[in-house]
Order: sequence, then structure tokens, then C-alpha cells
Amino acid sequence: MGPDTTVSVRGLTRDFGSFRAVDDVWFEVHTGEVFGFLGANGAGKTTLIRMLCGLLEPTAGTATVCGLDIRTRTRDVRRIIGYMSQKFSLYEDLPVRANIEFFGGVYGLPRSALKRSIARLTAELQLEEYASAQTRSLPLGIKQRLALGIALLHNPSVLFLDEPTAGVDPIIRRNFWRIIYDIAGRGSTVFVTTHYMEEAEYCNRLLIMHQGKIIETGSPSELKTRHDRPTIRDVFIRLISERMQEENAV
Amino acid sequence: MKRRVFAVIRKEFIHIARDFRSLIIILVMPVLMIALYGYGITLDMRCIRFAVVDLSRTPQSRALIASFTGNGFFREVAGDYTPDDAPSLFRQRRIQMMLVIPRDFAASLATQAETTVQVLVDATDANVGTYIHTYTEQVLQGYASSLSGAVQPILRLEPRLLYNPDRKSTHFFVPGLIAVLLMLVSALLTSITITRERESGTMEQILVSPIRPVEIVIGKVIPYITIGFADGALILASARILFGTPVHGSLLLLALLGTVYVFVALSFGLLVSTVARTQVIAMFMTVMLTILPTFLLSGFLFPVASMPTVLQYLSRIIPATYFLVIIRGVMLKGVGIAELWLPIVSLCAIGTFILSVAVMRFRISLE
Amino acid sequence: MRQVFYLMQKEFRQIVRDRFMIALLFVAPLVLIFVLGNAVTTEVLGIRMVFYDGDRTPFSRELLAHFRDSRYFRIVGYESRYRELTRLMDRGEAQVAVVLPAGFQRDILRGSAPTVQVLVDALDGNSAGVALGYVTDIVRRFHKQAAVSMPLPVIPTGGRRVAAETRFWYNPNLESRVFIIPGIMAILLVITTVLLTSLGIVREKEIGTLEQLMVTPIRSWQLIAGKTLPFCVVGFIAAILCMVFIRIIFGIGIAGSILLLAVESVLFILTTLGMGILVSTISHSQQQALFIAWFFMIFGMILSGFFIPIANMPPLIQVLTYANPVRYYMTILREIYLKGTGLSDLVEETVALAVFGTVVFSAAVLRFRRTLR
Repeated sequence: MGPDTTVSVRGLTRDFGSFRAVDDVWFEVHTGEVFGFLGANGAGKTTLIRMLCGLLEPTAGTATVCGLDIRTRTRDVRRIIGYMSQKFSLYEDLPVRANIEFFGGVYGLPRSALKRSIARLTAELQLEEYASAQTRSLPLGIKQRLALGIALLHNPSVLFLDEPTAGVDPIIRRNFWRIIYDIAGRGSTVFVTTHYMEEAEYCNRLLIMHQGKIIETGSPSELKTRHDRPTIRDVFIRLISERMQEENAV
Repeated sequence: MKRRVFAVIRKEFIHIARDFRSLIIILVMPVLMIALYGYGITLDMRCIRFAVVDLSRTPQSRALIASFTGNGFFREVAGDYTPDDAPSLFRQRRIQMMLVIPRDFAASLATQAETTVQVLVDATDANVGTYIHTYTEQVLQGYASSLSGAVQPILRLEPRLLYNPDRKSTHFFVPGLIAVLLMLVSALLTSITITRERESGTMEQILVSPIRPVEIVIGKVIPYITIGFADGALILASARILFGTPVHGSLLLLALLGTVYVFVALSFGLLVSTVARTQVIAMFMTVMLTILPTFLLSGFLFPVASMPTVLQYLSRIIPATYFLVIIRGVMLKGVGIAELWLPIVSLCAIGTFILSVAVMRFRISLE
Repeated sequence: MRQVFYLMQKEFRQIVRDRFMIALLFVAPLVLIFVLGNAVTTEVLGIRMVFYDGDRTPFSRELLAHFRDSRYFRIVGYESRYRELTRLMDRGEAQVAVVLPAGFQRDILRGSAPTVQVLVDALDGNSAGVALGYVTDIVRRFHKQAAVSMPLPVIPTGGRRVAAETRFWYNPNLESRVFIIPGIMAILLVITTVLLTSLGIVREKEIGTLEQLMVTPIRSWQLIAGKTLPFCVVGFIAAILCMVFIRIIFGIGIAGSILLLAVESVLFILTTLGMGILVSTISHSQQQALFIAWFFMIFGMILSGFFIPIANMPPLIQVLTYANPVRYYMTILREIYLKGTGLSDLVEETVALAVFGTVVFSAAVLRFRRTLR
């Protein structure tokens, strides 16, 4: 493990009954990287992220986040990670401010730090005008920005984003990625799963999964040259169809 | 139209079947309740624990005590007590009654026309209090007549118990339970599922399809009618097998009127779903508006005539009140439309009213 | 500790914003008290009676007058055709029919006791028994009065009587509501804690906020405390309101120690909160939680002696009630509320509640923690 390794995954495996969702996965992520998980639905991206966040117990293998073992030091891990799930949920019956205050409180931020955090984030994410609005009435894009803001309240070292941009329009998506770069630029590590291939191009490094296994890893440009394809989309399609052919042959 | 309705019905059945636990509860609960009530409730006979303070200590007083302990209704808790012990004995729940025989008991019996003994009763449960009172009077009368010869009766009463000669509470209870459970299943499930669709946004999804509101309602409601009927049949069958509860009248008529009643219940559920925003609210409203009244005010457990006037009026607008008369009549008395037309008409009238309000509101709430 | 505070604050904000919940909190106790206090009565009043007088003499009219003056009976008709009686009973318009035969007066005067037929609709076996009791009572009174006002040879004089001077403690007017009303507190506490707790947790599960909470460094006990304490408070507010309403509407106060009642209630709530959490761990949707919670609640209430005295149940089911925590709380409530019983006479019940509370709550916490992983 190198000095700037934030996340180190060693042989993580997870079974659901007889189904192996994640199969013996190994990789390392460096500080400040924007690290993308690419894969079809059901490839195991979400399961992997949920294990790293301590939401699912691995069946085998382990991982460390900032040197902390996710199996034994779950609580310490949670202190330093932020997580925004596929269906990040807010309390729709509470106003925006109450939601922020609540999650800040749950992370145990002191009142003054919380105040500063809220001020900074609402400015950065341009949420000021919505602070006292009803969460229920917000448009999806704003809700997602709010959700991201909440995941960032406690200045996490590692941020896990599970399909953060699903269902929002391209302009908001671009905006969202600008924020992600800012976060990474400040020294946080960002994990993103996505199935928007053009988004994958924005990542520093990519990991392509298929049926629970890693089938390819590298930076977008590396991947494109290695497989001699102009875009990540083409790389991805090629890899997956190769796999499918192999399986059919067997 | 048929295809679309069928799609909704199928979806709803899949929902129900997938939620295995709820289904089990819906089907097992009534049978358990029947068993519980059938085996559970005996109306009479409990052994009354009592203590005696015999200040007289004469053969006469001992004879009086013997006539209490000798009949099986009373069991003496032996001990050397004074009347002052009554409060603590009551609080320890060791006795329910204390009999105090005065010092001059024997002398008074010999000289006076009327002799008084003191009876202290723990009457927290009014029922038990009444029960003790009745049996005490009986014992005392028996004792007195053993002294002076029985009084000739002026007339003889010949009671004839109609419809339920053994006074079996199960027979009385089964029809009521059917009414309550049909209401529970139909109203609660309907209001909650429709509210759930609204809450989760799937209602919108359905609405953008070419389906008409009426079709949604029909589609959503048919599965619950089925469940309601399955439940009703299950209750009837298990009561029949376990306790021999009869159906004297026409089963067809019962099924027909049961359908009417279920429609009324479903309309209630639909109505609630147009008002409630969340499932929790829907549930509480349904319980408050339908299940509680059905349980308490319809005459299911407690006779309506004994209630204050306000509640008696209230009970008249509760569909279950009429359905109970109908189902008890058909099942236990074996009567038909000729005898039951009034409650049948009332039930239909209430049903039509609620259904039209519900459908109207449902239409509005969709827009 | 701060985290628990934030959780509770959030929960209260949600409760306060939900106007419906507030309404429920105030209205439910009132409605329950009013309806249960009045509807739940084992007294049988206003029995619909039809009278067939085949004699039409002063004696038969005298007996009729006794029935008419009784507050237990409401005479719905006089029939001159016997067949009509059963028809009225079939239609449920009459519950009791009294048939005085021709020659009623003559037979009494002769001393050859005439037979009076009493037809009783026995569908409701209990009411039927009570109604028969009333009839017997009225006949006895008729007998007594006839002995005074009419020259009857058959009444022997000089019979000795032993009379009971009966004192009904704790409930001098023998009102059935007295026994029922304290039990409403148990219902309210069960509903607010079991139902609201389980639904509250399952709702967060459904919308996904629970998962969001789980990736925070919050400890599971903090999460449990934050989710349950607010409903505890809500339950207690409802219970206190309940006591106030009972006092105002029915004039029934607490005979015993309020402090003891509060302590016992806390022990009881431990169990019900545990149940709420347990239900939430086995439910995937609010609907499911609702059904499972209702299932337990209904059987908890039935087997508690709230409606049906435990002594009236068959032995096997009586044994079953010992496994029902509501049973003990019901006893405690009634004892403290109506009789003013102290702790020394409630030791067994208190111990039972404490044991149930500890076991159920810790089982719930353990299971909840496991589902969190």
C-alpha cells in the first residue's frame, strides 16, 4: 500500500444466497482521485459501495479506508466518509434547513462548525434561496444538490456517490461534476458509479465491472488506447460483448 | 376495458401474494379469534373467593356459612379476619367478597322477622359485583326458607330460549366477527393500498395510461373483495367445524348481502384514501371511522339499546349495525328477505350514499 | 448524546408538522374515552318486549304495569294473536315476549300457580340470561306487592328473612365503565408506542433515510433512543390527557399514587417499544408493519382482560395470558386507579413487567443492530 493510498480493497466478496454479487475484487485508490465504477445494471457496483460504507458485511475479504479496516472499525470509517445513495432520501416533510441541521447533528458536528459548514455549502451549491423551502416542493436537480451538500457536511475524506446524476438534465449534471472536481481538488477521494458513459470520461481512473468481477481498470485515455476505441462507450461495449461471447461459447 | 381492469387486478394480486406475512395474518387472525372466542368465553360460573368474619360463632352462623360454601359458587379463603382486613384483602386480590355475621345473629333469627348480615364486595368490575350480589341473595333466600319452609310461588315462569337454546356465545359471536373482519380487510386494505400508490407516485404512473378512474377502482377493489370473501368463508367453515355454528337461512342471500356490505366497506376505504396523504394517516382514519364504530357501536359486543341516546343515533348510521341484524337473522334465525327488508334497504341506502361520495371525491382528487 | 438530541428534535419536528398527528393525539383519547366509557356496558337496558295478554283482568294488567314501569324493558307492542309474537321476534323487533294465559287471575286466586310463558331471543346468550333475570325479579316484586294489595290466600305470612346489607366498594353504583376506563390508558400507550415506533422506523427504511443514517457514525443505541423516546413522550402526553379527560367526563380520579403509576407505565412502555422495534425489523413496508402490529395489539388486548375477564376464559387460555405483558399492566392500572393499591400488593405484576420489558427490549435492540449491518 503506497503512502497516498486512501482505499485499499483486498479480495472483497459478497454472496446473496447462492448468487455472488461481488467476486474477489482487489484494487487501490489514491488520495484526491475521482474514481469511477462502470458496469451494467447488476454488475455489483452498488453492492461494492455498500460494503465499503459498512452497510453490508462482506462474505470474504476486507478493505481499508484511510487505513481503517471496514470490518472492525466501521464506526470510525463512517466518521470520515460521505455517502449519497442512488435514491438519496431526505425528509420531505421537513424544510431544507431542518434536513441539513439534522444530518449535521447526527454527524456530531459542534454547533459553530455546523453553522460554518452550512453557510459554506449553501453558497457553494447555490442553495441559499431554498434554505427555508419545503423539501417536498424542490425540483429533482435541487434535491440532488441538497443531498450532495448533506453528504459533504462533515468534510469527508472519501465520498461515495452511487449514481448521483441519475435523472437530472445535462446542464445540472455538468454543474454537478464541477463540484465533484472541486471536492477532489481539496484532497478528498471521490467514488462514483454511473452508467452515463460520457460521465465516465471525467473520471481520473475507471474500473469496469461485469457480473461481480473487475474486467478492466485504468485511466480513460489508457483504456481507449489499449482497446483502440475513440470513446469509453465503445471500450465498454467491446469489453462486455467479448465477455458475453465467451460465456456463450462455454 | 376488461383488459385494463384485469391488468390492475393482476398487479394487485401479485402485491398481495408477495406480501406473504400480511396474507397469513389476514387469513389466520379470524380463525384464531374464532377459536379464542369459541373456547374462550363462558358467561357464567366463576368461583368467588370470599372470607367470613363470624362474630356470632353459633350453630346458626355455621349453617349459614355452610350454605355459602356448599353450592359451588363460593370458595372460602380461611383465616381469622376482622372487617378491617377487607381493604387489604381486596387490594391483594385474595378475596372478592367478605361476609360479616353479626354477634347477635342467632338471637335475631329467633326473635326478629328480618336479620341482617353485612356483605362487602370488591365491585371494581361491575359484572362481578352484580354476579356476587345475585348469588348472595340466592344463598340467603335458600337459607331463610330452610328455616321457615319455602314460599309457594304465585305463578310459574316457563322460559323458552329461541334461536340459541344453549345460550352459546360462539354462535352469537361468529356473525359479528364476520362483519368486523370484512370491514377491517375491505376498508383498511383499500384505503392503505390506494394511499400507498399515491404516496409512492405510482398512481400518477397509472393515471397517465389510458385507464379510467373507475377501472382503477374496480381493479384495485376486486382482489380485496376476494380476500374479504375468503376470510368470511374461512370463518364460517371454521366455526362450523369447531363449534357447529349453523347457517339456518339461505347461503346465497348471505353471500349477496355480504357483497353489498363489502362494497360499503370498500367505499369507506376509497373515501378515506381521497383525504389521507400518508399510509399512517389512512390507517388511523380508517380505524377511527370504520373499525372502531363497527367494533363498539354496531351491537357486535355491546347491546345498542343500553347505550346513551347519542351513541344510539350514531349506531344507526353505521352500516355494520344493519349488516349484523341481517347476518344474525339469516344464520341463526333462518329468516329471509320478508323479515329483513328494512335493514337491507337501510344498508343499501347508506352504501349508495357513501359510494357516490367516495367516487366523486376520488375523481376530484385525481385532478 | 448530542446525536440523540438531534434525532429527537427531527422526530418532534415531523410530528408537529403533521397536523394530523397532533389532532390524533388530542382527539383519539377523547373519542376513545367517550365511546368506550359509554358503549362498553354489560348492563342490559331497553329490552324490546311484546306482551300477550290472554286474560285481561286486573291481575294481568297489574303485572303488565310492573313491566312497563321497569327501566329495563321497553314495551313495543301488545299482541292479541299468538302467531304474531314469533314473527316479531324473527324480525328482531322484539327480544322478549311474555304470554299471560287465559284464566291467569282465576288460577292465582285458586292457588294453582298459572304458567307464564317467556320467549327470549337467546342469540346474545348473555343478554338473554340477564333479561330472564329481570323478568324473574319483576315477577317476585309483583308477588310481594300482590300479597299486600290483594287478598291472596297463597302467601304465607310470618316467613323469616335474612337480608344482606351489601356494600359495593370502589364502584358503589356498579357501573361497568368504571372497570373499563382505566384500561383505555393501556390502549393508548400501546397504539402510540408499538404502532408509531414500528411505522416510524419502517417509513425511514422505505424512503431510504435509515440507510443514510446508517452510514453516519451514529451508534445504534443512539438511533434507537432517538427513534423511540419521542413516541414515549407522545404516549405519555396522550396518557396524561387521557387521565384529565377521564376526570372531567366521568369524574373518576386516581385513587393511588400517580408516581407509582408513572413508574409502572415506564416499565410497560419498555415492552411496547421493544415490540415496535421488533415489528419494524421483520417488516419491509409500512403496510406490513401495520398488519403485524395490529395482530399483536389485538391479541394483546383480548388476552389482557380488558373486555373479557380472564377468569371467564378456559384454563388453557388463562395460562396463555401470563405470557401477555398487557395483562399485568391492565391489573396494575385498575388496582392503582380504582383501589389505590400500593406497590407491596403489586410486586408480582411489577416484576413481570420488568422482566418482560428487559427481555423484549434487549431482544429488539439486538435484532435491530443485526439488521443494521
